[in-house]
Amino acid sequence: MHSDLPVSMKIVVAGGYAVGKTTLVGTISEIEPLTTEADITVESLGVDFPGPVTTKTGTTVAMDFGRITLGPDMILYLFGTPGQDRFLFLWDELVRGAVGGIVLVDTRRIEDCFPAVDYFEHLGIPFVVAVNLFHGVYRHHPREVREALSVPANVPVVLCDARNRLHVKETLVLLVEGALRRAQMAGASAQAGS
Amino acid sequence: MSGREPDGRPGGGPRPADPARRARSVVRPYVLTRGRTSSALGVFALHAPVLALIGPEQLGRKATPEDRKIIDLCQTPTSVAELSARLGAPVGVVRVLVGDLVEARMVQVRQTEDPSEHRDVRLLERLLEGIRAL
Repeated sequence: MHSDLPVSMKIVVAGGYAVGKTTLVGTISEIEPLTTEADITVESLGVDFPGPVTTKTGTTVAMDFGRITLGPDMILYLFGTPGQDRFLFLWDELVRGAVGGIVLVDTRRIEDCFPAVDYFEHLGIPFVVAVNLFHGVYRHHPREVREALSVPANVPVVLCDARNRLHVKETLVLLVEGALRRAQMAGASAQAGS
Repeated sequence: MSGREPDGRPGGGPRPADPARRARSVVRPYVLTRGRTSSALGVFALHAPVLALIGPEQLGRKATPEDRKIIDLCQTPTSVAELSARLGAPVGVVRVLVGDLVEARMVQVRQTEDPSEHRDVRLLERLLEGIRAL
């Protein structure tokens, strides 16, 4: 029935406000990042929510996303999370079915990424910490960032200029390699257990 | 709108929604769904691809502009999120409209909710291959 429909995969790009998420998405997307609106009043199941944009049509938050066609039968979407902690509850929808996440870090405001790290760790979703290079300079070594975030050893921490296509591509590769290793291990232990 | 966008690539090629057009829209979004906020078919994932099963010419004269736009865009597979961006309507509205079109057998949706699909080793290998080849 689905022979004409491509497999669609999703990777979530998280991090603090104005850390460069949409820049990262736009660097590798084949389309200009699009913006979609999630309707809070409807989708939060009645949670009273003082959102940033209140219009006659209700309260919405915008999510930016891009698309990469990886062949005739596979499409990858990159979704940026809404940039503030108070939208965390929306992420369940964003993260459901995702291959994994990229947590983008601005070392001048490193604490902004804590909610994202906690969230991915809590859900057990593969993720990579990418330290954004603003203006091509970095102030902290990835090792320092790793210590500050105290992420597990299996979570890569890399430098990534969000404007650099090769950096973004390599970050995606690292993430998917991690997800693949995890899937292989899960498969092996399932076989051993059966 | 001029209808279908010329784009031969698989996966389609929508451009960003026209802000001027969105600004002109004075219809409250859920009027389009006659007040319904969910589809009987469940929640389609943001990245779920939608494909039209009919051509634009097969739509009846009573079809709404939104249905026409969805059928136009979905001549190539187009995700729920892309439809939302192109229609300038919240994701929740698009889900209801797409659900109606599924029930009318005018589109099909590839559900992507099954998390096991994303732990599928072969699928992840293909994804990795695809990204490396970029």
